[in-house]
Amino acid sequence: MPKLVPLLAALLLTLPAAAEDLPSNHTERMKVGTALFQKTIRPALIENCLKCHGDEKVRSGLDLSSRELLLEGGETDDAINLEDPAKSYLLKLIRHEEEPEMPPKKAKLPDALIADFQKWIALGASYDKPLLVKDGSKPAEMRVTESDREFWSFKPLSNSAPPATNDSWPQTKIDHFVFAKFSENKLTPNPPAVDHARIRRAYLSLIGLPPTPEQLKTALSQTHAQFIDELLTSPHYGERWARHWLDAARFGESHGFEQDYDRKYAFHYRDFVIKALNSDMPWDQFVRWQLAGDEIAPDNPLAMMATGFLGAGVFPTQLTEKEFESARYDELDDMVATTGTAMLGLTIGCARCHDHKFDPIPVKDYYQFVSIFTSTIRSEVDIPIDSNSHAETMQKWQAGYQAATAALSTYEAHPDTRTAFHQWLKTKAPSSVTPDEWSTLDFAEARSDQATTKLTAQPDGSLLASGMTPSSETYLLKANPGPQEIRHLRIEALTHSSMKHTGPGRASNGNFALTDLQLFVSRPKQKTNPVKLTSAKATHQQNTTNLSVASSIDGDLTSSGWAVDAGGIGKDQAAVFQLAEPLQLKINEVLEIRLKFSTNGQHSLGRFRVSVSDKSSPPLIVGGGRNLQLDQALKALLTGHLLDHHRKPLFLHFVNSDPKWKTLNDRTRKSLAAKPQSTVAKVQVTSEGFPPTKHAADGRGFPHFYPETHFLSRGDPNQKKGVAQPGYLQVLMRNDKTTADWQQTPPADWTRTSYRRRSLANWITDIENGAGHLLARVVVNRVWHHHFGRGIVATPNDFGLQGVLPSHPELLDHLAQKLIANGWNLKSLHRDILLSSTWLQSSDPSAEKAAIDPDNKLLWRFTPRRLEAEVVRDSILAAAGQLDPQMFGPGTLDEGQRRRSIYFMIKRSRLIPMMQVFDQPEPLASQGSRPSTTIAPQALLFMNNPQVVQWSHSLATTLDQKDPDIAIQQLYLRALTREPSPTELRDNRAFFDAQSASYSGQKNAHQLALADLCQILFSLNEFIYLP
Amino acid sequence: MIHSDHYTRRHWLQTAGAGFGSLGLTSLLAQEGLLGSDPADPLAAKKSHFNGKAKSVIWLFINGGPSQVDTWDYKPELEKMDGKELAGFDKNTGFFANAVGPLMKSPFEFTPRGQCGKMVSSIFPKLGEHVDKMAFIHSGHTESNNHSPALFMMNTGQPRMGLPCVGSWATYGLGSVSSDLPAFVVMSDPLDRGLPKGSAANWGAGFLPSVYQGTWLRPKGDAIENLNRPAHMSDAQQLRQLALLKKLNGQHIKTRPGDAELEARIKSFELAYRMQTAAPEAFDVNQEPDHVKKLYGVGDKRCDHIARQCITARRMVERGVRFVQIYSGGMANQRSWDGHNDIKGNHSQFAGETDTPIAGLLTDLDQRGLLEDTLVIWGGEFGRLPLAQKAAKPGRDHNPHCFTTWMAGGGIKGGVSYGESDDIGHHAVVDKAHVNDIHATILHQLGFDHEKLTHTYNGRRFRLTDVGGKVIKPIIA
Repeated sequence: MPKLVPLLAALLLTLPAAAEDLPSNHTERMKVGTALFQKTIRPALIENCLKCHGDEKVRSGLDLSSRELLLEGGETDDAINLEDPAKSYLLKLIRHEEEPEMPPKKAKLPDALIADFQKWIALGASYDKPLLVKDGSKPAEMRVTESDREFWSFKPLSNSAPPATNDSWPQTKIDHFVFAKFSENKLTPNPPAVDHARIRRAYLSLIGLPPTPEQLKTALSQTHAQFIDELLTSPHYGERWARHWLDAARFGESHGFEQDYDRKYAFHYRDFVIKALNSDMPWDQFVRWQLAGDEIAPDNPLAMMATGFLGAGVFPTQLTEKEFESARYDELDDMVATTGTAMLGLTIGCARCHDHKFDPIPVKDYYQFVSIFTSTIRSEVDIPIDSNSHAETMQKWQAGYQAATAALSTYEAHPDTRTAFHQWLKTKAPSSVTPDEWSTLDFAEARSDQATTKLTAQPDGSLLASGMTPSSETYLLKANPGPQEIRHLRIEALTHSSMKHTGPGRASNGNFALTDLQLFVSRPKQKTNPVKLTSAKATHQQNTTNLSVASSIDGDLTSSGWAVDAGGIGKDQAAVFQLAEPLQLKINEVLEIRLKFSTNGQHSLGRFRVSVSDKSSPPLIVGGGRNLQLDQALKALLTGHLLDHHRKPLFLHFVNSDPKWKTLNDRTRKSLAAKPQSTVAKVQVTSEGFPPTKHAADGRGFPHFYPETHFLSRGDPNQKKGVAQPGYLQVLMRNDKTTADWQQTPPADWTRTSYRRRSLANWITDIENGAGHLLARVVVNRVWHHHFGRGIVATPNDFGLQGVLPSHPELLDHLAQKLIANGWNLKSLHRDILLSSTWLQSSDPSAEKAAIDPDNKLLWRFTPRRLEAEVVRDSILAAAGQLDPQMFGPGTLDEGQRRRSIYFMIKRSRLIPMMQVFDQPEPLASQGSRPSTTIAPQALLFMNNPQVVQWSHSLATTLDQKDPDIAIQQLYLRALTREPSPTELRDNRAFFDAQSASYSGQKNAHQLALADLCQILFSLNEFIYLP
Repeated sequence: MIHSDHYTRRHWLQTAGAGFGSLGLTSLLAQEGLLGSDPADPLAAKKSHFNGKAKSVIWLFINGGPSQVDTWDYKPELEKMDGKELAGFDKNTGFFANAVGPLMKSPFEFTPRGQCGKMVSSIFPKLGEHVDKMAFIHSGHTESNNHSPALFMMNTGQPRMGLPCVGSWATYGLGSVSSDLPAFVVMSDPLDRGLPKGSAANWGAGFLPSVYQGTWLRPKGDAIENLNRPAHMSDAQQLRQLALLKKLNGQHIKTRPGDAELEARIKSFELAYRMQTAAPEAFDVNQEPDHVKKLYGVGDKRCDHIARQCITARRMVERGVRFVQIYSGGMANQRSWDGHNDIKGNHSQFAGETDTPIAGLLTDLDQRGLLEDTLVIWGGEFGRLPLAQKAAKPGRDHNPHCFTTWMAGGGIKGGVSYGESDDIGHHAVVDKAHVNDIHATILHQLGFDHEKLTHTYNGRRFRLTDVGGKVIKPIIA
């Protein structure tokens, strides 16, 4: 086969060089050989050879499953030649120099791998352990040895000085490390980015928002260091960088699985992450609190909130007895796997069914690690979040309130008052009051289906809406009026100073649109029955078709509805609805009213009152009407059937005309209104000893956790092999330390938790002997990854043997050392990175440099890349001037909301489409880096999405309305942080002229054309790429 | 009047465009040996490991768990044992341990159908005509007795949430041959009876890039989001916008030549523009002639909804969509095939909803020559017990140990049965077929060795069949 000669010759030529690299000392040779075996040879044998040579078959008598069997060779020849490795038969076959070519029916193995095989044979062909254990004998346990600890990421941090150079480019130590690789690879750095690109890049990277024109101006007047320092103090920094960690923490706010129940109090964890980052909490503390904040600082609300980390994973909502235990082991696996990948970049979870295939993590380590969390569960607990002075304030208030109520009740109970009341009942009451035609309803429950709206009862029986107005919502009202006939229902839409143009609606023009009104009756233990409404009339309606009062009961649940513009704004209005048949409400029956507002964005009612009437044609008026309870009492009084519960409304009616009582009552009311804010928050924690979060299977006896964790065979809870005690990863315990060295016993008066997690926190942050050095490497790499689009280790969640080796190992260790020396503060790490010449480079492409380093691993430029989902949306909102800066608190699923995207609630079955389409990961397992795809649905979003269109229109209204050229210049500054070029100005202007001409005839043609232009700017590549 | 439009509708329609993945994604696909004709496009058509017989899959997901002994797995012995207690029965097999009744025969008649004489329940008068196209697997078994884990198992190969489903793996492996429709679509119950338990996680891409997740067609309103031009804008006005966008993006890219990602993004707007008309057209069942509508049962109140979904499925497959899943029934209990109460009423109803439409689909695919390369699958997440579940009208509880599923078309043998359950249909006993085996077979028909279609995530190489799976060769033509 002469054609093979050149190849063979080439291989032989390289051999001496390779051989020189090999250590001569036997121990050292075995060590290097074993490491090579673990890294490439073992996976290659398993992948390509073992099935036919040792596992299912032993073809040609060759068995590769252990070193002994390999050395025995096969039927044809010895497989390897330790004397003359290059001549090994095995090598000839895999080099395709001889037949049969191996592996059969597969592509030839990569040359680098074949070279590894030769090197491995030359080193003695050592195995760390057999690939298979035969004859049903017990598998040998994986042993973790000192040589395993020699793998780069498990080793202690190195201390290399930055390589020296005479070149003037390196400005910081980072640059020295980076520059050294340039020299080795004949690369030169890019020139610095221009100012506006530098400033825009820093804004988008650090706080996730583009700079406003004013901010740009300020930044241009500052030194780069001043600018970065100031930007790092922005509270938006936490909102931007928290999102990165939430990916790693697989954070979600619902259970997932069958019903995907909400975890209403899980958002506190998100808030903790934002607050911790903003306050530059030391990273080791950040980690300690997430694992054991409830044991380390149980009195600190933030530390309690931090424990949301462990319990943020999915959990079934429906369980059968057969699944109880396996579901619990799955839950524990989620805690262990996420702790491993997010904090240590280690795939501990891979050792659940067998020893880790690649990393030195035996299955034994896995179950010991699981055992740490044995009794750790999710709970919802009330946590006082008060300041120290709060108790004092509260005490003072209580004294005042008690005095006021005492005075009132003393007055009410006074014999004189009682006598006067009885006198009134007997004499004046029957004649002085006659039942009204309308009776107003009191509600036992009145709320909106959107959490941002609050409905508060007013003294006049109306309900006042407050809070941020969602784009659409439904008010849900429940009353328990007692026995009552109802023939008509009245809704009064009332004005109030809190609304634009005093309302009665919450829209920006004071309007509302009642899309749909529904009435229901629910009887105890029966289902809810709808009550049919037939006709409707109103004091005013916007038109007689799609905005008429009749359209609120037309069965159309989305578009048409009663509105009152065209003459009705700023005035009280009323609408009366007739019931198809008189409704006879009985005692205990509940009347339910649903008011839906979805005809138009943010068009809900601001203040309203609901009344009922038993008359056949009650008047269509605003006002009039007494409280229903009072009416019922009056009727009872007139018919002589006065019952005990009738006395209270009558008494209140009576005393309401007593000035003395009124003064006392006002005092109580005012005192109540001044009650210091409630200072207990319900928080989802992951702890021990609290009652578990309720579960649907509680009734079936679901125990939530089992008192002991067992070693399981193949991960199967039905195959237990003894109780596992807490333990850490052997490969990350150095200097003969054992688990006991980190274990801490709780103080005598502490019984609620086991301190197992607190002990874990001790180990994971111990730089000397535990996992602290890896913890530091992993977080430094995450920060680097988010700044440059690629980590020094390109697999941020895998620092194990399958992970990618670091491109700049010394730099990584240097930064990790520095992080620790700086007290684990991330902001100084950001500062170091952003002040480096490396980061400051332009992102310009270069064909010559790309030929040397196409993936920019060596950082000869700043890699341009698409912004993440959240930054895309937040940038549009910010540029449009529509961003609502309110921080913290419950999130929402409303796509029309205007807060930053991190405040979307993460409900696993209803992920926000706009986030998903730009690759926000599903919150199911830890994610270290996001893919960045470009697909047509993203383009459709920019072209047609209602929010994008709406925000384009908002932006258009803020631009110069007279001179389109000025408007275009403003738009460029707002959206792209720069002035348009003359060509761009001309092109935009031409578009504007043509577009506004095409809208001619419409009164807002100018506005429409400007809005269409804004939308294009949002759609530009330049808008959504880091410059 | 619109005049100065240099960019015409035709111009946009002529320009092809496609999806794109960042360098990271591209190299990741390369690493798994999955780069397509266009290495920059994660959805570009890709070569499978070998030539598969099937190009597309239509999976009729019989949601809630159809009862094998009342549908396709005829059990004369069960008739004889009707009313007897089953000794040694583990009452925790199903969901309701306290409602276990005696053995119960099928309330339906079975008669031989087709050339092969397959015994078929009377609830499938029309589907019974097609048994010669079907290969039955009577020995299916799974790992959970609870809907959502069992649904995850059937869709993703593991009874846990968060792994990629079969449709995602198929799209990941094959890419798309339809440039203006999603590669993988899912249709759920349009009658307000809910989504299958676990909802979107059943068609999620898990750790695969989200481009591979199933596109859920909304049962009401627009099937896909953002397909409609803003109300205030005309076609010409939008085209003018796109023309300016292209021009400005073109100026931008001049300073960064060779950036494939930016170019792909420019193209994606052209594709998006085409999708605005192409997608609604594909979903418009009303374009079908009356005789086709009638064949599927459109207009028949009982089955109109599934008829429309089955026609949509065929229109999708015709246009190159890879994977279509239709869920029969909504969430659980009487809203799906989950016949805990009144198995007779429940299965009569849901068979009635699907019999004509699925039979129509098989006829139509066959007549158009599409059945050859379209794999049709009928099956749910588990089977049901041969025992009665106590209720006013008796039902049947979940059975993870045995279920029946059938496949047709796409290189599958017709008129054959594989595997057997025991005499009463309680356990699979002969040639047991694990869910992994079913998945391995589906991937095989699409041209994949299920052991080699892998994805590396958080340090581990994942595959649909985990550590199991063997192709069920006897049902392959």
